[in-house]
Formats: sequence, structure tokens, C-alpha cells
Amino acid sequence: MAKAYRLIFDENLCIGCQACNVACRLENDVPEEVYRLQVHVTTHGVFPHLGMHFERRSCVMCDEPPCVSVCPTGASFQSKDGLVHIHESQCITCKYCILACPYHARFINPVKNVVEKCTFCFESRLSKALDPACVSVCTTEALRFGDMDQEDSAVAMLSRKETVLFPKAHLGTKPKVCFIPARKGAKV
Amino acid sequence: MQGSLRALEPSVLKGEDKWVRSVCEMCSSRCAIDVRVVDGKPVWLQGNAFDARMHTSICARGLSGVSQLYDKDRLTTPLIRVGQRGENRWREASLDEALSFVASSMQRLKKTYGAQSMLFSSKTGESFDLLSSFASNYGSPNTFSHWSSCPIAIESALEQTFGERAYRDFEHADYIVNFGHNLFEGLDIPLSKAMARFAANPSKKLIVLDPRFSMMAGKADEWYPIRAGQDLAFVLSLLHVWLRDAKYDHAFVQRYCIGLDALKASLKETTPQWQERYTGIDARTIERLADEIYRAAPRCILDWGHKATTSPAEFQRTRAILIANVLMGNVEKKGGIYFAKTPEMLNELLQKPLFPLLQSPYPAPNVGISRIDGAGEEGSAYRFVPKKHGVLNSIADAILTQQPYAIKGWFLTRHNPLVTVADPQKMRAAMATLELIVVNDIYMSDTAMMADVVLPEATYLERDEGIHVHQGLIPSYTMRNRALMPLRGTQSLRETVRRLADALGFGDAYPWKTIQELRAYQAKGDSALLESLVKRGYVQATIPPLFLREEASVRAFCERYAHVDLMRVSEMFERRRKTPSGKIELFCAHIEEAFAGYGVPCAVDMDVQHNYPYTLISGKSAIHTNAHTQNVPYLHALMSENPLWMHPSTAKAHGLRPNDTCYIENEIGKEKVKVFITEGIRPDTLFLYMGFGRQTPLLPKIDRKGSSASKLLSLQTAPVCGAMITNTGVRIVRA
Repeated sequence: MAKAYRLIFDENLCIGCQACNVACRLENDVPEEVYRLQVHVTTHGVFPHLGMHFERRSCVMCDEPPCVSVCPTGASFQSKDGLVHIHESQCITCKYCILACPYHARFINPVKNVVEKCTFCFESRLSKALDPACVSVCTTEALRFGDMDQEDSAVAMLSRKETVLFPKAHLGTKPKVCFIPARKGAKV
Repeated sequence: MQGSLRALEPSVLKGEDKWVRSVCEMCSSRCAIDVRVVDGKPVWLQGNAFDARMHTSICARGLSGVSQLYDKDRLTTPLIRVGQRGENRWREASLDEALSFVASSMQRLKKTYGAQSMLFSSKTGESFDLLSSFASNYGSPNTFSHWSSCPIAIESALEQTFGERAYRDFEHADYIVNFGHNLFEGLDIPLSKAMARFAANPSKKLIVLDPRFSMMAGKADEWYPIRAGQDLAFVLSLLHVWLRDAKYDHAFVQRYCIGLDALKASLKETTPQWQERYTGIDARTIERLADEIYRAAPRCILDWGHKATTSPAEFQRTRAILIANVLMGNVEKKGGIYFAKTPEMLNELLQKPLFPLLQSPYPAPNVGISRIDGAGEEGSAYRFVPKKHGVLNSIADAILTQQPYAIKGWFLTRHNPLVTVADPQKMRAAMATLELIVVNDIYMSDTAMMADVVLPEATYLERDEGIHVHQGLIPSYTMRNRALMPLRGTQSLRETVRRLADALGFGDAYPWKTIQELRAYQAKGDSALLESLVKRGYVQATIPPLFLREEASVRAFCERYAHVDLMRVSEMFERRRKTPSGKIELFCAHIEEAFAGYGVPCAVDMDVQHNYPYTLISGKSAIHTNAHTQNVPYLHALMSENPLWMHPSTAKAHGLRPNDTCYIENEIGKEKVKVFITEGIRPDTLFLYMGFGRQTPLLPKIDRKGSSASKLLSLQTAPVCGAMITNTGVRIVRA
């Protein structure tokens, strides 16, 4: 049965420790100079009225993915669960998808010379009913992952309880990754 | 076909895919981990979910264990110096040759100068217990742990106030005041996770005092950029308000404490107005916070931190914070602070030996010679410093003056004092005069480069170790199990020490030869415990959490163990404490006798700036551990230097722009820094992450990258506890 995956990033729990970033590298053998996933931490405001902002930078798995429609070879595609993947063998490294992605989530793997991005660890973990690597290691459990169609899943329950926001929602890409904005500190 | 490959089970062809439960060592927090090993190679690391507080969580450093294991810069062959000391000319040697060189050199020093002429140092943990035992069997009292450069103030303050360690129940607290305890960067997964949940809970309140907008400050409900080193003034005024208004737990203080009158007398002048000039925090804020904390009591914690060493008054600062907790009556209360429920105590309470007691496999006979620093000796300035931990800051002078006696050798295991101890310039000069330096490490560290012999150590993923008991609310046991055999040429410190002990003629002191024998000895033959620890890596008692002064908790405990009388449990708290007075000491008479003005919290020795325009502070990052991980490829890629945090107005005053370089200097040293301009720091304060600015030509990736705060720290120590003082005054000089 198709799944309605969702990944929730709680900015209130995130401490910017980069465990997710390193877990992704280890799990997916991401070459040293590139990243599938990073958390950017920024401080805003004027001393001493400051706030901290945590942003997960990675593929947000759009329901309406601009990277798929621009792909000239069909290498970028969407699975029946709505996950966006790349057929490495069909990628001609034309970079259309890299330009089309409003989340800057795609890059060229310098070792394989193909376009790459987060897959929610589909092959190594998700297909075996394991959470993505970043979710499973998060030091403060700031990441939740699961199926929105299951009413008792952690993500469904959290989505009912909290106000979740979708990154660049105005673009109509309908991401599966959303976040709970920080409640504390000076506003941006 | 019979007899063919096809007839075999498919698993034979698949190769091995297994999980090994062990203990992390990318920092000192000792988190329980789970290592996935495929075909003999560790491929994945995560938290060991048998420890429910961990679940599968692990930090970036922990995950990088594999990156460290296969780092091409790792040492795999013993090296013997051929050039001048520190010149970095080496020859490769076999392990046999290197060990026999070490043994004969140690033998020679012992004969010529006496065994006390050798120093031994390691961070605490199994390696320290092992090395201490080795040192005392050899005949030297001079063992040094990392304590005096890290948590010694808190250890000392707890000992003097309560007679034992206390722990913090972040999970159930409603209100926490955090004094620069940067738990979100100096990570300890169970503690950090509990703190993160606390900070994210809108019904709780977190106050953070830190001159820098740290990760903790970013999660605070209220952040106060207190002037560096002035925590003590803040706490003294809180105490003043509570005593002035009689807002404290009178019954608790009266029944369990000694020295309230002395405390009152000492705090007469420390009003909220008084502290303003020190902390920069408004008096009205103190009044409000004092009231809020009192109303939250006893579910409130004033968090003393781990390593702080803010000023020479560190002992006073930490004692004042402990006493603030005591006045709030949060001791042995849920959401407050508590003492360890040790296996010994629980066995006694339950009148059954339910929890295994271990015996130490590391015999350490008293050598009957006084230490170079006088630690633990009556009449010495360091009489209150535990004998086995010592004072690192005293080493350089002792070597240079050869006082109180000849000091000629030093054995260090994964200890890098040229980065982590104050005034490394002086330490380097002192080391240059030694006759023997042995360094056991996985990397060619700054200190290793000063050695005569460098022994390549196996990393924690390649080591089997003994059992470790974690004290706390519920006792637990962990054991390091190796995920793979040590890489060619490397071995554990245990094997090194055991072989050296044989060569030096005291191998008989050890009741074990192999790790199996060591574990069996330690567990007193408890094979069930050992089997669980091999399989699960983590074993926890299954008792309900017990807070002795929390009625509901005591009742729940007694429901579980019907044979235990309710009164018997409560009475555990009525016992004589292990302090001189037998009570919680607000006033310590014996400290006052030795250090006038230190028996009770008062405003002393709070200046760290020493007329310099800026205070330099330092701290941990979530990416690196002290001087240990800078070369680990994954972590190096994330953070390869440590620019100096500077407020925009400070930068403007000195005409500095982002990424400019300049110098910071004081009477101790001068260090080149790159400037990082941020609103997140007081204009009079500068900040550096620790562990950079290395001098390691053989590790070119990290050599002279970033800056070292240690180079600007003096060898002065904090009275009573002997702590290194890690805040210091500096001026900025244009490059």
C-alpha cells in the first residue's frame, strides 16, 4: 500500500549538533566535499535580544517536484509513495534538476559524476521498515518520521498537536518535510 | 550436488553481518553504543537502545568513530626518536623493541633518581585506573588525571558540601538556572536529551547565564549575558535575597545542614544592587528570579555545570550554587538533585545481593612518597585535591626547578597537555629537559612529538575492556566490546601496561593476564553479568527511581519490594554524611582553617580580567572533543578551525572585518586569531572553541590551524580545588 510519508523537524529540539549530517554521510557514503543533509544554524537580532534559527537543508520530497518535470531523460522520477528518486544510470548530469530545485537539495556526486540527493535512505533503510539514518540518530529526537495515513503514527499525532510549517510553501511544491518553528528567542 | 558450494547454507556465502554493543570513546561521556559490523568492518554506529535514555541516538563525534578508525594519519607502528627532542626525526621499531626500550629506560630512571621521578597521566576512566595502578606498582605517587583541567571544582565542592557526588533530575524539574553548562555542545546524550526536552517544553522555564549566546542560551526562556567569571556574585545575591526574605526550606536546612549563621553573616552585603557592578544584571531581575525559583522549589535546579572554571573563585562559585539548591530544599526530590543509589546501598536496603559488586582489577599500593604537587598532603596548598588526580598546572614548574625532587620521565596515554593545559610554552620547555617521555596515542599529537617513544594505541572500537559501573538514580553497568581486531601494529594500553609490568618485574601484582581473566576477576566470577554485558553492552537494574525525600517515590519503591519497610527507606537519608560534621556543610570549618575566606560562600577572587580590556573565554563544540578529534576526517570536514568570536562594536573599535586576522595577547602569550564577528557575545568578551592552534607538523591537516586559548592561560590555580582557570584577560593587537 502506498505510504504518505512525512518527516517533521522540530526546531525547538534541534541543537545543531550535525549528528544527522554525519549519519547521512556514513550511511550513504557521501563524498567528503558534498552534503545530502546539513543543519544551518543562524543567530539573528541585536545583542542582547537574540534568537537562533535552525534550518534543515536537504531534499523535502515534494509532492509536486519541479526537478522531475525538467528532467530530459526520466532519470528523476517519483515513486508510488510520492518519493522523488534518481535513476543513476539514466542521469546525464545536465544539471536542469539542480537549477529547478528551490531547496538547493541536489548536487553532483564528484565520485560517480551523477546528480544525487537525499532518498530518505530508501534502499538501505526505509525499504526495510527502518527510519532514515538522520532520524534514528538525532541526539535530541528532533526528527520524527512516519506515515500520515496511520493515525497513531508519531508524525500524525505530532501534526495534530503542533502547528507545522512547510518550507517555501508558497511555491506549491507540497513538501513531505515540514518543521515546527522555534517558540523562543527574538523573532527573525 | 552433494559436496558442492551449492549444498551449503546461503548464510555461509553471505558473510558476517552482526551488531556489537560497546561504549563510545569519542569523548568522555561513555555513551552506550551499538556497532554494525559487516564482513569484519564496522559500517554503522548508533546509540545502544538497551539504554532507554539513549534509544538509538548518537552524536556527530560518536558517528565518526569509523572515520577515526580508518583515518590514514593513525599511528600503526611504534616510533623511537632519533633526532633532538621535538625535532620530529623518528625510526620505526617493532613493538617488542619499543616496549623493551621503555622498560629499560624506566628501570634506569628508577635506579638513578627513584621511581617518583616518573610522572603518569591520562584522562579518567579505565586507562587512568590502569595507569595509576602501573605507576604505584612501579613506585611513583605522581599520577595525574584530566580532573584539574576539567571537573575538579565541582568534584571538590560536592565532596566538601555533601561528602559525595550529587546528580541533577532535569527530566522532572520545572525551573532550571544554567550557569554556562553548555550541554548542547559538550554532549552527553542522556543528559543532553533530557535537557532538550526540558527546554522545548513550554510549561518549563530555563534561565541561562553565559557571556556568549551559546546553543543553551539559544534555547533559554531568558538569557543573561553575564560578565565572564561573575557567576559567584549572581548566586551570592540570590542567596542574600532568600535569606533576607526567609524564603528557603527552613525545616530542611535546620535538620540536615550546618553553618546557616555563618552563611547569613557572609551574605549581609551581597544585595542585588551590589552584584550589578560585577555581573551587569539588573537588581530587579535578581529579585524576580529569586522569587520565581523559590516558587518552583523543590522542582528547581541550579545547574552547577561540569567544567566551568570561570575565575580563581571557582570553588566558591560552585559551592554557592550547591548551597542555592540546598536552600531550595530540592535534595532527594523529584525534579531536584539526588545522590547515587549505589549497588552497595541498594543491596543493603533490600537485604539481598541483587546488584553485582565489582572488585578492582587494578591494584594500587600506597607508595609512601609525597607527590610533586603535594596533593592530598596535610599542610600543602593542594591538601584538598585528591591524591590520585593531582594538579596538572604544577607539573611544568616542578620539572623546571626539579623541586621537590628530581623529575625525569613522563608516561602519557592519550593525554595532550601541550593543548589542554595552561601555558604550553612553559610545559614544552619543561618537557624538553626530561630524560624519558613515552606517549601512547592513536595520533602523532603535539605531545607525542616531544616523546622518545610513541606507542600506537588501538582505538576503542578495537578494544575489549573491563566493566564500568555508572552511578546515578539507577545503577547500570557497561562494558566495551571490540567490534574488530586491532589494526596491525596497534594494541590496547592494557596489553602495553601488562607487558611492561612483566618486563619491570611486577607482573605478579596483577591477578590477570588476559582480558577474559580481568573481566572474570572484576565480576567475581559472575558469568551471568558478563554474558549480558557481552551480548547487550549495557545492563541496568530494574528498580523504580528512588528519591528518598519524595513520599510517592518511596512508597512506589516499597510496593515493588514488599519486604522493605517504608521507614527503613526514608531513614537512609537520616544517616551521618561523609563530611567532617556529618551534615550538609554550608560552612566548612576545616576549609576555613586552611583557606581563610573559603569556608563559606563569599565574594573573593572574582577578577579574571586583570586590567586587560577583554576577557577571553573558551568552551566545547559539538563537533570536536578537546584536543582529540581535530584530525578525524568526518569531523575535520565539519570544523577545521576556530575563529575568535567578537562583538561588532569590538571589531569596529579595532578596525577589524570578518575573517581578518589579528593577535590576542597578555603576559603569558600571544596568539594569532581569525575574527568571527557576531552579535552573540558581550562586547568585552572574546570566545574560542577548544583544541585548535596545534603544533603538529606530522598532522599537516590540523597543524597551526585555528588558535589555542591555553597559550594565554597562566599556571595560577583556583584555591582549595587546584583547578586550571580558563578565563583570562587579553588585549587585541592588529596583525
